[in-house]
This record gives sequence, structure tokens and C-alpha cells, in this order.
Amino acid sequence: MKPAKKSVSFIVALLLISGTLFVEKGGAAEEAKVAFYANITAVEPIMDAFTKATGIKAEYTRISTAKFLATVFTEFEAGKLMADVIQAPLPVLEMLKAKGVISSYVSPEAATYPEGSNKDGIQQFGIEYVGLIYNKELVKPEDVPKRYQDLTDPKWKDKIVMANPASHATTICWLIGLRDNVFASEAEWMEFLKGLAANKPMFVASFGPTPAPIESGEKVIGISMPKYIVTKAPAPLDWARVQNQPLMGTPRAMGISTKAPHPEEAKKFMDYWLSKEAMGLLAKDVGEYVLTPGVFPPIEGMDQAKVISIKELSDDEIAKWGEEFKKIFAVK
Amino acid sequence: MTGKHTKLTFFLIAIVGFLTVCPVVMLVFGSLSEGLTASGDFTLAKYVAAYSDPALLEVLFNTVVFVVGASISATTLALFLAYLNIRTDIPFKFIFGVISIIPMMIPHILFSVSWVLLLNPSNGILNLLLKELFALENAPFNIYSLPGMILVEGLLDLPIAYLIIAPAMSAFDASLEESSRVCGASTGKTIFRITLPVLRPAILAAFILCVIRGLASFAVPSVIGMPGRIYVLATHLYQMVSTGFAADYGKASAVGMSVLVASIILIYLYRYLTSAGEKFVTIAGRGYKPTIIRLKRSKVPLFLILGILSFVLIVLPVIVLIYISLVPYSMVPSARAFSMMGMKHWIDVLNDPISLLSLKNSLFLGIFGATVGIFLSIFVAYVIVKVRTRSAGILESLSFLSFSFPGIVIGVGFMWFFVRTPLYATIWALLIGYIATYLPYGIRPLSSAFVQIHNHLEESSLVAGASYLTTLRRVVVPLLVPGIISGWVLMATMFFRELSLSVVLSRPGTEVLAVQILRFAEDGLWGRLSALGIMMIAVSALLVILVNYIGNKVRPMVY
Repeated sequence: MKPAKKSVSFIVALLLISGTLFVEKGGAAEEAKVAFYANITAVEPIMDAFTKATGIKAEYTRISTAKFLATVFTEFEAGKLMADVIQAPLPVLEMLKAKGVISSYVSPEAATYPEGSNKDGIQQFGIEYVGLIYNKELVKPEDVPKRYQDLTDPKWKDKIVMANPASHATTICWLIGLRDNVFASEAEWMEFLKGLAANKPMFVASFGPTPAPIESGEKVIGISMPKYIVTKAPAPLDWARVQNQPLMGTPRAMGISTKAPHPEEAKKFMDYWLSKEAMGLLAKDVGEYVLTPGVFPPIEGMDQAKVISIKELSDDEIAKWGEEFKKIFAVK
Repeated sequence: MTGKHTKLTFFLIAIVGFLTVCPVVMLVFGSLSEGLTASGDFTLAKYVAAYSDPALLEVLFNTVVFVVGASISATTLALFLAYLNIRTDIPFKFIFGVISIIPMMIPHILFSVSWVLLLNPSNGILNLLLKELFALENAPFNIYSLPGMILVEGLLDLPIAYLIIAPAMSAFDASLEESSRVCGASTGKTIFRITLPVLRPAILAAFILCVIRGLASFAVPSVIGMPGRIYVLATHLYQMVSTGFAADYGKASAVGMSVLVASIILIYLYRYLTSAGEKFVTIAGRGYKPTIIRLKRSKVPLFLILGILSFVLIVLPVIVLIYISLVPYSMVPSARAFSMMGMKHWIDVLNDPISLLSLKNSLFLGIFGATVGIFLSIFVAYVIVKVRTRSAGILESLSFLSFSFPGIVIGVGFMWFFVRTPLYATIWALLIGYIATYLPYGIRPLSSAFVQIHNHLEESSLVAGASYLTTLRRVVVPLLVPGIISGWVLMATMFFRELSLSVVLSRPGTEVLAVQILRFAEDGLWGRLSALGIMMIAVSALLVILVNYIGNKVRPMVY
């Protein structure tokens, strides 16, 4: 018994001591660095380019949208928010701002962005744009939708994939965006929703799993993100050029933490991120739609597209519309 | 019981309690707090909102069918595989043993995607093949259904059941079966009247562990259930936290509490059903012999059945993964697809410094974590089985606390806990979290092995003057080797691909494989995901072979 107790105590003590050493070691190293919290694809080239340009090490912590606020608030309340710069959908940044997490720093680079893209330190720099993505080997050119309404054609029955309209926040906002920006009346919009539901789209958890079934031919068209045409090349994906209708998406924004452990480095990082050079990388490598004038993702026809930010819905509104769409789309 | 046992029990209750109660307590606070963290004003609103949801009833029904179905499939298949592998002279048993635990090594999301590619109704590879072969108009199978979910979850849970049943099977005293046959009973009658009843603790333990795992499972409900519009508790919780930007984990915890209660009831039921411990003892002081049954004429047919089952259920999905890792994007196999094959995804993964760092961190967590975890499990299992007081019951329930919580929620509980300690954002937080959550993977196989060892063996050692530790080291542990190997393999392979906690606790520098896997999945990069998944299978398989080799030096092979 006694030796057993000793052994267990030894292991527990060893764990705790090693843990403390690890933490101390981390704290002792005072190198110039900046911590970036976000949920965005393949930004490592921008991180590397920033380090090369400034000598400051950039650390990227990727946190999924569902856990983003929970993580940042928990760390903030415990006085352990490690983020210097935070990037997220605009509504998330606004919730963080309301709790005092985001500072009012305005980068000099903001001057080159469209008017109204900076709200008290929250800088919008891009749009997480959504469109109709199809398999160009399986959909004949003449069949490609020319309007969103074409998606209700019965020929698409059992051939559509989309994120779950009862729960996926961006899809819910996008459907509401169609009502506000595309359809002439509520009745027309409702008819579209019912037509889309009648085509029995396959639901997946988020946008991430939407391109795979389109590529493989399990489905042929989907409500998805045009950036996959870049990131999934050479997959036979293309986007439907909807005529006289906009592409829409959630605004992407960023800001500096009020408790940034490295405030000066954070400013340099934000300045660099908003520069034409960094935004060019984001557009070219990741296919993102950015607000820097003259910079477009390398997707044919995208420089001609009208891409707009959709109205932000509150969480209560998202939940309410989620319930409505649950009924319309017969999501059990 | 002796005072020493009582001290040991309380000491273990303190350790296990500390490890598992803290995150759960934080979740209780979270479920009763206003706002998004665990420190808001008191409210019951989250419970009211969570339990007044009209969809909950159907979700619960689906959950019961899904979880019970998958657990029965996993346990039955594990029994069949373990019996043939361990008790009979079936050829290539080592290969079958490794195949049985392969699903444990694959990221669950990847295994599910693989089955979607095989059995989706539009262009699933097997469906296309069957349509062609039998000139069918419609696809014969639809993976997006409850049976589809049960099939895949059952296969994913198979290793858990196998690794619990296998050690019990290898410690089986064949003289019991021989006596039955001598008395004129047929093989079938002997199996049902002697073999299965003696194995009852292991079978029940396997079943219960599968039920609890099934309740917490997210990959299958998300990848297969959601497209089929079949919602179970895990996807219901996901919807709850993903609708809107401010995910309320407190409300999700409120639902999680009922899963916790259900799990604790199951554990007590298990204790009750196996309370007459003496009945299940097969290794006493009088010597035992785990003899091999000669299959004779049934050897070839059984070998073929086992071979076909293993190939279709486990090897084929792995082949699909290899295929996905080689084609440039998701495509149905064709001459064109084969002509486009290349190593791009593999090169991308091997050139990605974060993937390599993740591999290193996960290896450390797998090997070191499982070793510490199994060490703790030996003591806990000993107390649970041999002491059997009310305190031992509490210890057993405590060991299941974090394990029982749906994965989507428990990670947040650990975050709420660790952020109050200096361990936050270090690899040690991951290590402690893993051990705390997956302790039952170490305890279960060891308990079912402990159950079969008679107290006389320890008593003889103690009477002869040996200390408790010497008795444990010289007498008990050598007899437990198959259980230790099983527990270690379960823990190491689990730690190697752990997702629920890692996704919340890992930070730059402490990235683990699951985090990389999730990144690839979120970006839809299935090729890289498959390449990394196959690397994970290869490393895990090597670990399993290595630990088996070490175990084999002490005792005959389990697998």
C-alpha cells in the first residue's frame, strides 16, 4: 500500500512539476511575437510573409466558429486571453466589442478600404461569399442556373447539397439575404424556399463538407463557397454566374484585443494583414473575396461579380429563422 | 474490508475525483449560469429551454435505436471475432486480431466518409457495383439511414468491445467447457450455457462501454445521420451550439446531464448484474489452462466467413481511404481516376510543419499518456473489482464521469477548468484531460480480467509474507497482462486520435493530430485528411504490434 501510494504520488508530482516547468519555459521566452485567433483557411503564407517582413513571429490559433466566443470569453474573464489580434465574422467581433474585448485601433491601411468598413476599431476586410457551385463535368452549360430561382427546377431533385438551413448560421443569414437583396417580394422568396425544399437537398453540418459530394458526383450542385474552386483545384468545380443578382456573404472582420499581450506587434500585424500584399495572398492562395480595391480571387468572372455583405442577424433572429426553415425544409 | 483497502480506495477516489469531477462541475455551473461562461448569475432557464424542445422526444428515440443497435452489433461481432481468434485454431489469427482493432486507429470522421463513398445511394462504389452485377434499377443500400448509422458506429465501437472481451476470453478456463462436453452437451449448448455466462462481466462491460461511447459519438451522426435527416442526441447538441454565433454550451450541458445520469444508472446496473463476483472466477490457485479448440471441418468455412467480414467491413473502407489519398479530388474509381493518381496529398502533409509537430505531440500523448493511464487504471480496477464496497462503487462511477459526457461539451468543461490553472494551453492539460476522460478504457479491460482472478491467489501471497505491492507485481499483474495490453492499446490509440478535448485545449505548439484532421475536414481537403489518417493507422498499428510483442514475452499473445 505505502509503496503504491508513493508511486502514484510520484507520477502525479512529476506531471505537475513538468507542467509548471513547461509553463515557466513558455513565459520566460520573450521573443517578439503576435498571437492571432481566427477561423480561416490556409493563412500560413501570410503569417510567414509577415515574419519575413517584420521579424515578428506570428502564431495562428484556429478556433471553430461554434467554439469561438466560448473560448475568447472564457480566457478574457479568467485574465488569460492570449490573443493579440482577433479575426471572425463581423457579428462575433461586435459581440466581443460589446464586452470590451476589442480595442479601437484603426490601422492607417484602413484608409484604402471602402467607406464604412471600420466601425470603432472593428475592421471589415472581406466577405465570406456564398454562391451556387456545380460540377462542370456533370452539368451541361445550358443547364447551369442563371438565377437563384432556377435552383427550384425539378431537374435538380436529389442533386443539391447545402449546409443545414435549420442550424448553420451563415446559411440562415444567406437565405434571409436572398429575401432582402434578390427577391421582389416575401411571397416570391417563400415560393423559392418551398421549391428548393421540394428538391430535397442533402444537408451537411457546414460549408466544409459541401464540395466533396459535388466533386465526386454524388450531388451535382450546391449552395457553397466559390473559394473551393481555388482550394480544391483541379476538381471540376465552377460557379453559376447569376445574372443581375449579387453574390452574398458574411462580412469578415478583425480587431486588436484590449488586453493584447503584445500591443505594438499586434498593430504591426493588423497593418500588414490589411496591406495589398497580404490581401493579395489571401485572394490568390485561398480564394477569399477581399475588400482591397483591385484585388480579386483567381476565379474566372469574379472580378465582374457583384459581391455584397448580408445584413447581420442577432442570435435570437438566427434561432427564430432556424426554426422556420426547419419546418419549410422538413428538417426533423 | 481492511483499513489498507479503505485508504487505497479513498486515495483513488481523491485522484480520480479530482481528474473527472472538476470539468463536470464546471459544466454544471455553466448549465446554471446566465451568459456564455460558467461564472454568470444563477438561472434554470437553460434546463427549461433544453428540455421543453418538442424535437427532443424523437431525438431520444433515434438515439436509443442508434446506440443500442450499434452496441449490440459491436459486442456480437467482437464476441465472434474474439472467440475464433483466441479460443480456436483459426489460421492468420494475428492478422484478424489487428484488423479487429483497426477502426480504433482511424479518425471516426474519415471512416464515416469512407462508408459514404461506398454506400451512398447516388454513386456509392458498392451500390454501383451491385447495380451493375444484378441489373438493379435503384441502389440496394442507403448509408444515410439508421441501419447505416448503426453499421458504421458498430464497427467503430468494435475494437472497444473486442479489447474488453479478448482478455477475458484468453483467461478462460477450458476445463469448464470440457466438463460440459463430458456431460454430453453439444458445442452450441456449451457456448450458450457455459462460455457466454462465464464471460458475462466482460460482455456487459463491453456493451455498456459501447452504449456510453455511442451516446457521445459525433462523427457518424454528423456525416451519415444529418444528410439522412436522422438526428440523435449528439447532432441535436451540435444544432443547439451552432445555431447562431454565440454558442451556449451551458444549454448543451443541461442536455448532457441526462446522458450522465443514464450512464451512471448503467454502471450501477452493471455492478448489480455482476455482483456475484465469485461466479465468474476462472483463474484460481488450482491452475487454469486456456486450451485451444480445434475447429476441424468447420475451420475453412469459418475462416472464409471471418475473412470476408473483415475484408468488407474493415479492410475495404481502409482501401477507399488509400484511394482518396492518391486521387487529386473526390472521384468515383474509373480508368481516368487511376490515371490521375499521384502522391501530392502525401507530399503536402509531409511538408506541412504543423502536421509533423502534431504527429510528434500525439505520439508523446499516446505513449506516455497511456502508460500513466494504465498505471492508474490497475489500482482503480483492483479496488472496483476486489473491494466492492460502496466507496468502490463511487470510484467506478467517478471514473465514468467525464467519459459519459458528449464529446462536444466535455472539452468546454475542461477549458473552463484548466483556464483557472497554470496548465492552460500546455500539453499537460491535454495529457491530464485525456487520462481523466478515457480512464474507463484502461479500467474496463482490467476489471474484466481482475474478475476472473480468485482472491485465493493474493491471499496465499500475503500469507506467505509478501506486501500488497509485491503481490500485485509478482502475482496479479502477470496474470493481468492481456488486460493491461488491451487497456494500453485502447488508451494509446484513443489518445493518438483524440478530438473532443484537443479541439478546445490545443494551442500553437501543442497541436495534435486530431486538430490537423479537423482543419483538413473543415476545409474539405479529404485527400490530405486520408493521407494523414493512413499515417495514423500505420503508427498505431506499429504501436499495437510492439506492445503485443512486449506482452508476448510475458504471456501468450492475446490477438
